[in-house]
Order: sequence, then structure tokens, then C-alpha cells
Amino acid sequence: MRRFLDRYWYAYAMVLPVVVVTAVLVLIPLVQGIYFTFTDINEANIANPLLDRVAGYVSVGFRNYANVLSGDSSYGSFWATLLRTVIWTFCCVFLHVTIGLGLALLLNRPMRARALYRVLLILPWAVPAFISSFAWKYMFNSQFGIINQTLRALGLPEPVWLGQSNLALVAVIIVNVWVGVPFNMIALLGGLQSIPGDLYEAAEIDGATPWQRFRHVTLPGLRSVTSTVVLLGVIWTFNMFAVIYLVTGMNPYTRTLITYAFERFFAGASRDYAVASTYGALILSVLLVFALFYRGVLRRQGETL
Amino acid sequence: MAEVAYVNASRVFPGSPPVRAVDQLELNVADGEFLVLVGPSGSGKSTALRMLAGLEDVDEGAIEIGGKDVTNVPPKGRDIAMVFQSYALYPHMTVAENMGFALKLRGVPKQQIKDKVAEAAKMLDLTKYLDRKPKALSGGQRQRVAMGRAIVREPSVFLMDEPLSNLDAKLRVETRANIAALQKRLDTTTIYVTHDQVEAMTMGHRVAVLKDGLLQQCDTPRELYERPANAFVAGFMGSPAMNLKTVPLTAEGAQLDGLVVPLPRTVLDSVAAEGLTEVTFGVRPEALHLAGADEDGMELTVELVEELGADAYVYGSVRIGDASERFIVRVDSRTPPAFGQKVKVAVRDNSEIHLFHPESGKRLSA
Repeated sequence: MRRFLDRYWYAYAMVLPVVVVTAVLVLIPLVQGIYFTFTDINEANIANPLLDRVAGYVSVGFRNYANVLSGDSSYGSFWATLLRTVIWTFCCVFLHVTIGLGLALLLNRPMRARALYRVLLILPWAVPAFISSFAWKYMFNSQFGIINQTLRALGLPEPVWLGQSNLALVAVIIVNVWVGVPFNMIALLGGLQSIPGDLYEAAEIDGATPWQRFRHVTLPGLRSVTSTVVLLGVIWTFNMFAVIYLVTGMNPYTRTLITYAFERFFAGASRDYAVASTYGALILSVLLVFALFYRGVLRRQGETL
Repeated sequence: MAEVAYVNASRVFPGSPPVRAVDQLELNVADGEFLVLVGPSGSGKSTALRMLAGLEDVDEGAIEIGGKDVTNVPPKGRDIAMVFQSYALYPHMTVAENMGFALKLRGVPKQQIKDKVAEAAKMLDLTKYLDRKPKALSGGQRQRVAMGRAIVREPSVFLMDEPLSNLDAKLRVETRANIAALQKRLDTTTIYVTHDQVEAMTMGHRVAVLKDGLLQQCDTPRELYERPANAFVAGFMGSPAMNLKTVPLTAEGAQLDGLVVPLPRTVLDSVAAEGLTEVTFGVRPEALHLAGADEDGMELTVELVEELGADAYVYGSVRIGDASERFIVRVDSRTPPAFGQKVKVAVRDNSEIHLFHPESGKRLSA
């Protein structure tokens, strides 16, 4: 043990800052958050040095979990919200990967001004998400937005995009796809470029049609990239708060688990930190279960992540 | 089974000026023949092969397989199989799937694919590895899978693009013999590309030497070695390379330092008719020997001795005119001269010399 430390102390010294930062910024809040889920902490009973008030919250056991998991609408209709979150995540990730792959395939063939297209297509990603979100919000405006103006000019019906209907969910999905496609495109383009050209030639000589070459060479060759991109995409989209909140605000038709946790924490009559934390803990467990399941599927297919 | 023909086939890459990677190639390969395309890098040998595979356009002329013009037929319709330098195995498929992929695409019944793959695997000693992925195989095994993938298809022509260049020296020699034996057994027309003249000499029924897209000579290995058509072929085939020097002519023959190599009358006459005073003189290291004290010979200052066990190669310089020229001589390895020593070197047999035109490089001697 002593010799081990003598030999490797510098390695531990090097990682120490990261460990400390991670502990302070991630682990301590996480543990504290999970602790809060077992209490009735809210704005009225939290310790407040300004009012010279000591903490008054008490342990309530699993009552928060029971309330939330009952699906009661006063606790955010958990199951309906989870379903909406899953639909939102699935639609976004599916469109991210398919559109990203389509654009990557287009960009991967030799053509003029390829570098220019590449830059133009990455641009939405370089723009901060809140600017994109506001830009889209104005475009979706039912009276003055460019989308409805165009529809009006074409004589088509003009829907209220960001109102109290499922159309609002469609709108935020469109915005999030716009924001997320460039990353997927770049990652998949990198994957495409790492597939050796002679595999395509070998497949051509083996008699594969263009579709069969895509199916048997391109897709398997991209698997390690797609599996990473999908996992990241699911986690990011599941937790995507900015786009939804900035485009639609607190609209029940675009409510996902993460926006409800925010709503519960910062808005409402009493800021209910306990229920917000419970949502946080549940989001974490859903994603953990998903990641484990996903890894299992990949491992069965002979991939590692 | 099919014969192959290049009919004045050219591949021109656009540019300024355009690059004629393969220039008016005229070559006929008989059914069942093993033809080796050899040349230095950039000679167009791989391009010529890819033209035959259908992976490269044919800008001029035509390509025929089995008597049919396939110039505009896609690779799929040419009934060929190719072994790539990198093997190009599909990384996500097992050995068996790799070998059976072409048959699967063709819609061959599963059981039949399995039987054919098993048969080819047995031939190549791959039976144990059929369920492995390529990355779990050694280089030699991967090479055999690539061969197997070609064999399973039972094509009319095999195309091989430097299939041995990623193997280590020992395995390369072993696999070389295996491929030659396999080709003899299957009796399938094979076009084999390599930059290694030893491979070309040992494997091919005939060898086509290319340089700068132009066919230099196509003949049996023995003919190439004994009667190279020009100075390039003479220098390229054979290891170590032939000694090729520009030497002055006298009335009797070629004038080397302290040694006049007599030349046949016919050659001297034709050279005189062209008004040449010099020729490119070629002699292989094995056609030179260390001369005795009473013999005529050129004086060679030994600069390096390479001992290879059976033989030794002596590298040394000889003064020809004002210049110092380097010669290589093969000697008995038991009594090699020492570094710095001056030895006398003579031509073993005057019929073993080669003469080429000093400018065009064309063969002069009969």
C-alpha cells in the first residue's frame, strides 16, 4: 500500500481537483436533494437567517413518493407527464438522428462548397439555445409570426401554435429538433468518414445495391456513433428545460418531468422543495434504468459503450 | 472460367495536364492463367486492376471478360471476386457471414451458403474461426478469410490487389505458395497486382511489367529475367538489381575499366549504324565473378559486403572513364573479400550481358 502510494501519488494529486469539484457541485447537492425527498421542506419551513428562523421541516418518510406516484393532478399528474416526456424524448431523438444522418450523408459526398454547407448547418448549434428559442417563439406567434403569415399568404388555416393544445408540444419538438440536429449531423458525419472506402467497394463487387450497401456497411459502421448519440440525446432531451420553458412557458400541454420540477420549485403559492426534489430523484432513476437497459441491449449486439 | 482482355484500355484522371494512369493497355489473359501485374508505385497496376473490377472508369478502349465487352457493366455484373490489400472484411459480420455475404445477396438458399462456406473454410483451414469476428483474427487469418470470400463466389476471374503486403515476411512466403497452389487447384483466371518482383517471379504464369501507365513487357518470368525488353524491366526484375551502366564502345566491344567485353558482330554493326558511341550495359550480380590474378577484369574497391548465408553480395565502385560507378557482385559467402580491398571482377559468361539503347532504353542485343 505504501509503495503503491509512493509510486502513484502524482496520479491521485492530478485527479484530486476534479474529484473535489464533482463532489461539491454534484454529489453533495444530490445527497441533499435525495434527503429532501423524505421531508416536507418548502418555503415556509426552510431555515431563513434573514427572518431569524430555524429549519422547521420534518421527515415524512415515503409520503412524497406516494403522492407523486399516485398520479394525482395536484402533484403534477406524474404518469401522464412521464408519458408526455417519453413521447417528447422519442420524437426529438428520432428526428435528431434521422435528419442528422440524412444531412451527414449529403455532406459526405464530394461536392462544391462543401465546407460552406458544413458551417451553415452547424450554425444553429453555435447559436445559444435561448436565442434560437426566442426566435422560434416569435416565428410561431399566431398573429405576427412568419409561419402564420406564410400560411395566411397561401390561404391555409392558421393554427394557434403556442396555445393550450397539443400543437404546443409539436412546436417545441420542432424547435428542439432545430437546435439538436447539428450536433447529431457532425457526430454522424465523423462516423461516416471513419468507414473505410474499400468496404463499399467490396460490397459493390459482392453485388450489393446502394440500399444494401447502406444497410450492411453504413449502418453497422455507424453503430458505435449512433449508440452514443442516442444515449446522449435521450439524456439531454429528457432533461431539456430551456427550449420548452422559453418557448411555451408553463404550459400544461408541454409539461415534462423537468419543467414540472422547476414549476414546483420556483412557482406556485408555496415553493414545494420536497416535491420538486422527489421529481428530480424520479427523473434520475428513470434515466438510470434506461441507461442500464440500453447498455444491456448494446452488449447483446456485441457493442460496448 | 473466362479469358480477360484489355483492348487499348486507358484511364485518364482529370487535371492539368491530365494524368494517364493507365495508357492504352493491350493485354490478353488466357482462361485459367495466373497473370501478375507488377511495377513501382504509381505505375498504374492497381488502377488497371480496378478498371477490370469496374471500380474505375475506362476512358478509352474496352475491357472484355469471357469474350464479352464489360466496359460499361457495373462490378456486380462482371462475375469477378476481389481480394483487397486491406482485406476489406465487414467488421460486424462473423467469418462465415463475411464469406457468405455475396451469396446471401444473390438469394442463394441458407443451407447451400452454409455448405459452400464450410467447404471453402476447410480448404483454407478456417473451420475453427467461422463464428469469430474479423477483429479477433490474426493478420494471416484475415487474409485467408478475404481469400475465402472470393472463393465461395466461384467467380470466373479472381482479382488480387497486393493481398500479401500486410503480412510479415515469413507468412508472406508461406501464403505466396498457398495462393499459387490454390489457383492451380481451382484453375480460375487470376489477375494479381504486386510491387514485389519476387512475388511476381514466383507466382505468375506470365508477368506484365508496368511503368507510368505503360506496359513495358509481358512474358513468362524466365523470359523477363533472361531477355528484358528494356533497361527498366532489366533493372526492376531480379534482386539485387542488375548493374546497368552507360559505357563507351570500342571496335571490339564494351569498354569497362581494364576489361573489354566482346560483343557479337551483329550488335556492333547495328550500334554503329545508329552512330552510337555508348551503350547501356547490363549485367546481373550473379553473372559477375571474382577473377583470378591472370585474368582480365575491372578493378573494384569493396565498399560493403552483405552476407546472406548461401551467398554474399559485394558492393563496390569501379572507375569507368572519369566517373566512379557502383557495381554489385554475387560471390561465394565462404570467401568474401574484405572491406576496402581491391578485387578483380570479370563477366562469367559473355552471353549473360544485356545491352540497351542509351536513350530509349530498348534492348539492343539479339
